Amino acid sequence: MIIKILGSGCPNCQRLENNTKQAVKELNKQDVTVEHVRDIVKITEYGVMSTPALVIDETVKSSGRIPEADEIKGWLA
Amino acid sequence: MKKETNIFLLLAGLFLAFYFLPITNSQFIEALLSGFALLHEYAREHVLTCLLPAFFIAGAIAVFIKKDFVLKYLGGQAKKYVSYPLASVSGSILAVCSCTILPLFAGIRKRGAGLGPAVTFLFSGPAINIAAIFLTISVLGIKIGLARICLAILLSIVVGISMQLIFREKIEEGKLFVEQSNQPTYSKAVVLLFMLVMVGVLVVNGLQINQAQKYVLMGLLIITTAVIALTKFQKATNKEWIKETWSFTKMLLPILFIGVFAAGFVMPFLPQEFIERIVGSNTIIGNIVASIFGAFMYFSTLTEIPILQALIAKGMSQGPALALLLAGPSLSLPNMLVVRRVLGNKKTAVYVLLVILYSSIAGLLFGGIIK
Repeated sequence: MIIKILGSGCPNCQRLENNTKQAVKELNKQDVTVEHVRDIVKITEYGVMSTPALVIDETVKSSGRIPEADEIKGWLA
Repeated sequence: MKKETNIFLLLAGLFLAFYFLPITNSQFIEALLSGFALLHEYAREHVLTCLLPAFFIAGAIAVFIKKDFVLKYLGGQAKKYVSYPLASVSGSILAVCSCTILPLFAGIRKRGAGLGPAVTFLFSGPAINIAAIFLTISVLGIKIGLARICLAILLSIVVGISMQLIFREKIEEGKLFVEQSNQPTYSKAVVLLFMLVMVGVLVVNGLQINQAQKYVLMGLLIITTAVIALTKFQKATNKEWIKETWSFTKMLLPILFIGVFAAGFVMPFLPQEFIERIVGSNTIIGNIVASIFGAFMYFSTLTEIPILQALIAKGMSQGPALALLLAGPSLSLPNMLVVRRVLGNKKTAVYVLLVILYSSIAGLLFGGIIK
């Protein structure tokens, strides 16, 4: 499973990354990589308008908000 | 390891600064006092009566105006007379975090209404900032404040249309991911009334009536706001509103305090003669110099206001001041370098030149009118 955090690096994007890492840890999932995509051109290729955004296996799960770890866990299961 | 290195560097830097502090230098003392005096002025006259209501209003906008509703009207089928005006005012609605301005811009440009409205949005996002507008009016005066908001909106549309006419880009087809919001729907009338009452607090503060009457009126309006919120909105909505308001406050107040102190500190050093000579009167050169300075210089949100206050105190005329206010917040050298990666060199250069040109014209006209 490849998780990508889309965001150019402001504190909100960092919070999303932290929540994601926490969710992965709590579920004890193996075989998961978490990437942080900061490049603006790559971000727009996902059709996302509002950052921060969360992409799991190339599907956009949320955009423009910061889901809590619990919500992210629901997508990871 | 990196974090510990940073802490070390910070402590070492602070120590060196304190060690070499020119504490006996009278100019330095004067600058320090000037910085604190300006902070005192802002704390007394602007923070509670202007910034605080503005933050609450900004929080309400973030909660009540649905992004997906606005984005729909910035889509590919949008009519020009809808998309341009909407793009010019929705900056503060859509881009609550500054890092999202570029993805939004790219989205509107390629999969939405096109280059023109996207550029309008790019310019107006930082320019039409609720807190900045009200603080401008409170600190610099109603004339330049109103001129700022009207001309910023107008300029963003003109710059957008100009870019579209010059480059004539086509829109692509594409998937647009717009998150559905799950906010409860409230009657538009109630939300509008709610906002107006809060704006009323700001307006009353600016009126020329005696203090006691002002406080009574403002108190009444504040109570009304609270009553509407408690009786008409769900608890979750109110919580969200307070959360957004707090988030704005946390983000903007510290920067403002630093900016105000810096502007006050620098003020005694500003070369009055130089300022008066170049931007002291409403000349073409003066307005152009002011817009170029504004375009390249980086202003953190709200800090353009104390800086302008210092420049005006040292002789800057109203026309060039407005030119700076228009070109300043939306552009900066770092910002240009980032925009360049999405727009390319040519379009970025044209964008910058258009902003400088139109801000200078706006400043010139304003300076001429208020004489």
